[in-house]
Amino acid sequence: MNGDLEHGTANLSGWERWLEQHASRLLLFARQRTRVEADAQDLVQEAVIEAWRRRKLPQPPEVALVFATIRRRAVDLARSTDRRATREAHTVQETAVHWFDSSVEDRERTRLIEQAMCSLPEIYREAVTLKIWGGLTFAEIAEALQIPANTAASRYRYGIDELRKLTREAFA
Amino acid sequence: MNDLERFEQELRSLKPARPPAEFMERLRELEPARVAPQADSHGQTQWLWAHLVRWLVPATAVLAAAGFVWFKYSHPKTQHGRSLAVTVPPPLKADSVQIDEQLVGAFDAVGRLPNGEPVRFHCREWMDNVVLRDKTRGVVIEQRTPRVEVVPVRFETY
Repeated sequence: MNGDLEHGTANLSGWERWLEQHASRLLLFARQRTRVEADAQDLVQEAVIEAWRRRKLPQPPEVALVFATIRRRAVDLARSTDRRATREAHTVQETAVHWFDSSVEDRERTRLIEQAMCSLPEIYREAVTLKIWGGLTFAEIAEALQIPANTAASRYRYGIDELRKLTREAFA
Repeated sequence: MNDLERFEQELRSLKPARPPAEFMERLRELEPARVAPQADSHGQTQWLWAHLVRWLVPATAVLAAAGFVWFKYSHPKTQHGRSLAVTVPPPLKADSVQIDEQLVGAFDAVGRLPNGEPVRFHCREWMDNVVLRDKTRGVVIEQRTPRVEVVPVRFETY
């Protein structure tokens, strides 16, 4: 995938393919870490640029690195905007943003899963998201979250078990 | 396939919501050529530093260790000095020392000063003898040295 881009002369179609493949999963992860859609989009854009600049060649960055950058920047953003967000939460009605695409018949099930994901502790939610929808291996998750691979695996297992309990009704 | 795997598969079937079109357009505008050159100059310098430090620190430690070993084996004086001090026997310890002087001969001689005045010399030939003994080692050292003693005596006093 990354090999589609020849270094030196950037191949725009390769970049577009990279975006098509990863933009939605990156935005999903960013949406789970922010309260406002605009912040999530800014996070993804800034993380892509930052991860890109760390590379020695002008190829699209590694996805695991972008996830890690989104996570780090989200923590910084949360610290700086926590007070403002709490204050604005009472006055601004944020338009509901759905995390997943769903057909009409699946809409209720998708809503339940989103709610269940929201109720999961963050450390489990991010492990599940990176594994299921991010498509990362446990080693890559460990790198992105800066934890041991065994911890990443156990967090995922616990998270998936909790999610299953919470959504039993939807999948019954 | 067990329940857990089925559940994971169900979750995977959910596709993350497609990003808004304007956001995708923003991302498309991130031209690689505009972003990457900065990465080349800045990122490469960082990479060089990181690699330099990564190799320089252990290399310095190895060189220091090698230098220490080389110094230790190329300057064996201290090491040998210690072993010599241990192996060399203690110096002679003389149990008895005898000093003897023997008069071999005595005679008078007459000489003249530059003004013609006569001067008498009283001469004695001695043989000095020193004998040193170390009984524990069974060593006897004997040194004999001849010595001439000349005493000028003015003629008038004679």
